Amino acid sequence: MDPTIAALAKAAGLDKVLAKFPADIEHAAAQAMGHAEAVKYPTDPAAEPWPPMKAETAL
Amino acid sequence: MTELHWLSATEIAKAYAERTLSPTELVRALLDRIERLQPRLHAFIRLDAEGAMEAAKAAEAELANGHVRGPLHGVPVGIKDIIDVAGLPTTGHSKILVGNIATKDAVVVSKLRASGAIVMGKLSTHEFAIGGPSFDLPFPPARNPWNPRHHPGGSSSGSGSGLASGMFPLALGTDTGGSVRNPASVCGIVGLKPTYGLVSRRGVFPLAFTLDHVGPMTRTVADNALLLDVLAGHDPLDPGSAASNARHFGALLDRGVSGLRIGFVRHFHEIDMPAHPDVTAALEDAERILQAEGAIVDTVTLPKLSEFAGINRVILCSEAWSIHAPWLRERPEDYGALARRRLLPGAFMTAGDYVGAQRRRAELIAAVNDKLRDYDVLMCASSMDPASEIEDAAETARTYPRQARAPFNVTGHPALAMMSGLSHNGLPVSVQFVGRYFEDATVLRVAAAYEKAAGWHKKRPPI
Repeated sequence: MDPTIAALAKAAGLDKVLAKFPADIEHAAAQAMGHAEAVKYPTDPAAEPWPPMKAETAL
Repeated sequence: MTELHWLSATEIAKAYAERTLSPTELVRALLDRIERLQPRLHAFIRLDAEGAMEAAKAAEAELANGHVRGPLHGVPVGIKDIIDVAGLPTTGHSKILVGNIATKDAVVVSKLRASGAIVMGKLSTHEFAIGGPSFDLPFPPARNPWNPRHHPGGSSSGSGSGLASGMFPLALGTDTGGSVRNPASVCGIVGLKPTYGLVSRRGVFPLAFTLDHVGPMTRTVADNALLLDVLAGHDPLDPGSAASNARHFGALLDRGVSGLRIGFVRHFHEIDMPAHPDVTAALEDAERILQAEGAIVDTVTLPKLSEFAGINRVILCSEAWSIHAPWLRERPEDYGALARRRLLPGAFMTAGDYVGAQRRRAELIAAVNDKLRDYDVLMCASSMDPASEIEDAAETARTYPRQARAPFNVTGHPALAMMSGLSHNGLPVSVQFVGRYFEDATVLRVAAAYEKAAGWHKKRPPI
């Protein structure tokens, strides 16, 4: 396994998964990268997220 | 008279009013049918026969005294097993929550009880509405009544299977990436993902907060509108609930589609994700039927399906990870393999991925709203394929993501999937209609006109 992926899994507290289901960790890391790469992130720095950050009358 | 198990909620209410049917007679007939079909279809995780008969007797007494609570009084309903029903387990079809007895009804269940509906029990789902169909869970997966060798779709699998097989006329499902509309598509029923915020999710086990919806599932469009009438309404304790005045969802059902403008998003199934020929042919038929009914249908273009899907997955995985991380860290072996694999990617998403996806989401919403300024409703594919064989894991993995439902979880627009034909091997195929925010009634109007003209709702599975 790529040591970076193993390090990220440990940082996420997934030591048990890493020990018992290492293939799931590799699969998950690849999936995460694939999903994120499919997104065209906005180029406008002022583009806000949805759902909107709403300041109600009382916080 | 139609066999009791195929009666719609509308027909049941009429029969009660005419005193030709009683709630106990109906519930008894449905329990007999469930007893016969459950071993083959596994639609239920927990059947509450005793509770259903008690509720039927109570409804019968009220109706006999002339106390009619509304059109769902005495009508049976099945509840997906991530939605709390007080006194029954909410397991999420998972070992993680076996023995988790709900102490309160979810808001949607409270509303159903207040309307006099009869809760029949808890229905199969993909594990936590994401991992399935799976054979390594405490309960078997539901199967498709049109052919039990096939998947009934998911994650609201038991809702689709039970409706299509005549176990109950109404069901609740949930939809985060298409989970009401997938079983509707492959079981030949009607499933609506309402506008985001229209139906409370309080008391429903979450999958992804900004994508989750509770939706009505039925065999007819009119029943879907009736069920939505009961479910909809502002819930100040659900942070995603909208203070909308949308009501009377069946008000437009008889208006037809003459003069309505429908935008047909062909590139979803023709270019982005080429559909099975049987699905494509049924969509072309649906277009012709709607045109013959007087609708104006034009081809329209939206952003690519792959981008909607990517955004749905980044958001879903990130939000679901924040919910499941403690159990994934401590009890990974208690998840089925599919749920574990589908939930773990969230651990590898960055904060930038998540916020970036939510920012791009706003642009995609604007793109869909832009089209809905020119068109009353959009029309597109739902599933790109008929149901796979449930034990063919490779085929299920190939076909499951081939869908055009996730875009409308990303945008929050109301979206309905319904039967549009049968494949060459006798399995349902489907069409999807999408409307403006809180114009769920217009989506139901188009669906009703199509249903009446096409007549697919009269087909029954050979079970």
